[in-house]
Amino acid sequence: MIKFHNVSKVYPKSGKALDRINLHIRPGEFVSIVGQSGTGKTTMVKTMIGEEKIDQGKIIIGDWDITDIRQREIPVLRRQIGVIFQDFKLLYKKTLFENVAFAMQVCGGSPKKIRKIVPHVMKIVGLESKMDRYPEEISGGEQQRVAIARALVHRPKILLADEPTGNLDSLNANEIIELLLRINRFGTTVILVTHNREIVNRLKKRVITIDNGSIVSDQEIGKYVL
Amino acid sequence: MFLSLARVIKFSLQDIFRNVWLSLVTIMILVLALFTVNMLLVVKVVGNTAVGAIKEKIDINLFLKSNAKEDDILILKAKIANLNEVKEVKYISKDEALEVFRKKHENNPEILESLRELGSNPLAPTLVIKPADLDTFSVLTDKINSFDDEIIESRNFSNYKLMLNKINAITKKVTDAGIFLSSIFILITILVIYNSVRIAIYTHRHQITIMKLVGASNSFIQMPFLISSVIYTFIGVLILVFLFYPLLSLLQPYLETFFVGYNINLIDYFYSNAFSIFGSQFLIGSLINILASYVAVKKYSKV
Repeated sequence: MIKFHNVSKVYPKSGKALDRINLHIRPGEFVSIVGQSGTGKTTMVKTMIGEEKIDQGKIIIGDWDITDIRQREIPVLRRQIGVIFQDFKLLYKKTLFENVAFAMQVCGGSPKKIRKIVPHVMKIVGLESKMDRYPEEISGGEQQRVAIARALVHRPKILLADEPTGNLDSLNANEIIELLLRINRFGTTVILVTHNREIVNRLKKRVITIDNGSIVSDQEIGKYVL
Repeated sequence: MFLSLARVIKFSLQDIFRNVWLSLVTIMILVLALFTVNMLLVVKVVGNTAVGAIKEKIDINLFLKSNAKEDDILILKAKIANLNEVKEVKYISKDEALEVFRKKHENNPEILESLRELGSNPLAPTLVIKPADLDTFSVLTDKINSFDDEIIESRNFSNYKLMLNKINAITKKVTDAGIFLSSIFILITILVIYNSVRIAIYTHRHQITIMKLVGASNSFIQMPFLISSVIYTFIGVLILVFLFYPLLSLLQPYLETFFVGYNINLIDYFYSNAFSIFGSQFLIGSLINILASYVAVKKYSKV
């Protein structure tokens, strides 16, 4: 599903972010990428969605070599990879329904399709009864669930979660992780980027540990080792 | 396709109304730029009419001796008519000249009385020469001066060329000033459009980030800003049309008084050429504004 072959990335100012990363994530896996801040976790996410170009190596998503992806191909890639972030990235003047529908609107989804899919994904994340509310009227955990719902509208094969629990209390964080596990059970490959030791240790899933831009550990049922 | 276009237009209108004051300033600057361009056109029309009016009046009067024989006059007329620089020569006999004179002064009994007291026709026969081309006017006057025919009493060469040159110079100066002013306004418009788009992008940066994140194409992200600039131009041209015609109506009576006897109708001119004048201004304005927006979008939409 996702392959990194000797991937390196250097930022001119801050130096090496990724150093000869070799990685293979299989379809349907739930993988946690852990490491301290500034070790290259987010850079890995950015390279997977075409936001950053790599300096060396090769990245393959599915059967698609995205190493030298063209600017106009990036939207196509992003419709196949759902991404959620620590800061939810919601539009606060739109209702929850409109926030999720927005992702389909900007990609040319028909109103009929939007009316069908949005309630469906809102049901998956457990917010079908709050679709008319605004983001400020719901909790942080619920906001992250809206972001997940939005990431799911294109039925992605991969869901990238970059520190999705970073702004949440432990109760809400656990709910989000449960939701990600549920999505993974549907067959979606989930990549969780985090430095939350407690969550990683409880998951008992594959853990890849990054330090100084290199993979220092890759365990099938792993723990947070740093 | 149509759905995406409809959404792009919707986002574009949202962008205009969310930054309503900025949009208004942008449109006003655009109206000013278009206004100066159209005033330039007015100057051109007025200038052309003035030049045309003077050209119509240009001729050379060759006054002949009262006792000149008709045959000699006709020989001289034929000689002059053969010149390349001459368009036509008209012979006005003594009697015709008197007729014209009487008609001209029919409301002036004192002059008519003096004429009666004289008893005979004091007017001289005249050859009225129309030049073929104003550029060769001086050549023609030189040639006519060189005619040493004894039946020629006097020659009248009003310096129309100088007058025309003056009018052309004034028109050129006004046009140059207009072009300079228009250029400044167009430059300001480009800068204002560029900055409006920049601010609009800054206002929508969060939305643009999300659009990119969820896989919106670059064209879908950028198009609303380009469409906005076309909408600005359209509204600008529309406002200009509503302002310009009443202004022309105010100007028209003054022009008619000034160019009495000549056909000058600015309103008619702008009505009959409305589509090409305002249409081309809309097209060219849109093109310039799209270019300014495109540069801003390319530079700043990388959120």
